[in-house]
Amino acid sequence: MEPETKKRRGMESDPDWWDFLPVLSDEMSDEVPVLDAYAAPITDKRQTSRLVKDLSVVHPLADLQHIKRVRARRDEKEPHALEVLVCLVSDVLTRPQRPTLIDLLSSKDFNVKGLGEPFLVRIPARAPLTRPQFERASRHWPTSFHEDKRVTLGLKGQLFTSGQKAKFQEYMTAAVEAARAGREEGMEAVGAAIIDPKSGQILAVGHDLSRDHPLQHAAMVCIDLVAWGQGGGVYRYEKHPACRYTASDPQLSSGASEEGVQPYICTGYELYITREPCVMCAMALVHSRISRVFYGTSSPDGALGTKYKIHCQKGLNHHFQVYQGVMRQTCEALTRPR
Amino acid sequence: MRSDAAENNGIDGSFLQPSDTEVQRWMSCAFNMAKEALESGEVPVGCLLVYNNMVLGKGRNEVNETKNATRHAEMVALDQVLEWCSDRELDPEEVCRRCVLYVTVEPCITCAAALRLMNIPLVVYGCKNERFGGCGSVLDISAADLPHTGTSFTCIPGHRADEAVDMLKTFYKQENPNVLKPKVRKDSLGPAGGSVTTQRESCEKSTSD
Ligand SMILES: [Zn+2]
Ligand SMILES: [Zn+2]
Repeated sequence: MEPETKKRRGMESDPDWWDFLPVLSDEMSDEVPVLDAYAAPITDKRQTSRLVKDLSVVHPLADLQHIKRVRARRDEKEPHALEVLVCLVSDVLTRPQRPTLIDLLSSKDFNVKGLGEPFLVRIPARAPLTRPQFERASRHWPTSFHEDKRVTLGLKGQLFTSGQKAKFQEYMTAAVEAARAGREEGMEAVGAAIIDPKSGQILAVGHDLSRDHPLQHAAMVCIDLVAWGQGGGVYRYEKHPACRYTASDPQLSSGASEEGVQPYICTGYELYITREPCVMCAMALVHSRISRVFYGTSSPDGALGTKYKIHCQKGLNHHFQVYQGVMRQTCEALTRPR
Repeated sequence: MRSDAAENNGIDGSFLQPSDTEVQRWMSCAFNMAKEALESGEVPVGCLLVYNNMVLGKGRNEVNETKNATRHAEMVALDQVLEWCSDRELDPEEVCRRCVLYVTVEPCITCAAALRLMNIPLVVYGCKNERFGGCGSVLDISAADLPHTGTSFTCIPGHRADEAVDMLKTFYKQENPNVLKPKVRKDSLGPAGGSVTTQRESCEKSTSD
């Protein structure tokens, strides 16, 4: 192997050196969409609470509960201190070039005392789900935000301790070794491992076998190996010594209920895989009820972040967490032609 | 490599436009399999892979006995095609490119991707699979632009859809996840057995060559 790879591996053997990120749903990773709206300066501060009350009757903004009705002025040079959201542009039937308060507040008896002439603003169309979304959305107009601390830490790469990362590395190393063994057999260099996070046991290690069977991708192999460990299983792996399984210890097992009933297939288990699974494998993981997936490097038709996000696909009855970038460079090096 | 099996089969591509009679014939076999599964308390899905007027694969859901959540009827049938090809030293890709899948329910996302990877060009199905469907219901994997995931395929949906839905409804109504039902063996099947068998003969997997 070339020395460069060795050097990289050397660095990656320090679990704090590599970093990885959660693969979040589009809703969580895209920009929060914005809506056009009209705001107006509050020229008489004492009218603020009355104006907010009256405006919420005329333009209630029922679907925009996250929006704060009043904000501090954005331009320091303005004489007024506060600005209030009047209505959405879509609330106004006629759209003159520069609408006046009268245009926006068609209700004859609206008391416009203390309200200046309206101007255009943009407001976040829905509540932000992550801190980066919150920070960007707030630049348009203030919004409420219920922070999920785990997501915030995850996005900063600070969710896991060094000890946890060392464990993840151990599991991914098993997957990498399987990938190399598969490559020696002329298979695609993709390896995977399924573990039970409760016991720390590696339940199955496998690699791609698609040269012999077009559907035997590494994740499919591991799913079947777990089945063997549970007294089921379909394919035989004698010719592939790097594909192996251990029966899960029922005493330590993750999904087990109090009655000691075997968990449903992969409930509570985690998959470590060197390359992002394809759509067949990703959906197989949904069917198997996997709880978390860690992968090294993306793949062009990948279904856990690249082409699809099957793990958080709307309409499916099971979702799971996905993290990418575990030992990325080692995993990338696997598929590079030697 | 022998190619006689491939020779007279849809060189003109006619296998991609099965006649109504053909569709009815193969789908009625698939429906009989689904009924049989329902009667033994299993997921009522039946499917056949047909090549040159021969059934190369017949599958029913085998998730429970294998403890492998991917053992859907389609996967079982695809494995049988692979075996058939390997017995005859035929190139599975060449055979699959001339196969039609007849299935009572829209293939799920996993199976749709598997059908792409195996290069099956045409799928005729009964009802939609609202929970997991990979041919348009949840995602459309059949037609998606996935250059590294085999070839896209065509679907002919809706054949006896109401009947297929009713079977699924009956199954999910009786399904209780807390009780593990003892598995009824296929050969101990009761009432409808007789008539099913006669029909079944005609769709028996091709074993002769
Ligand atoms: Zn795959
Ligand atoms: Zn399926």
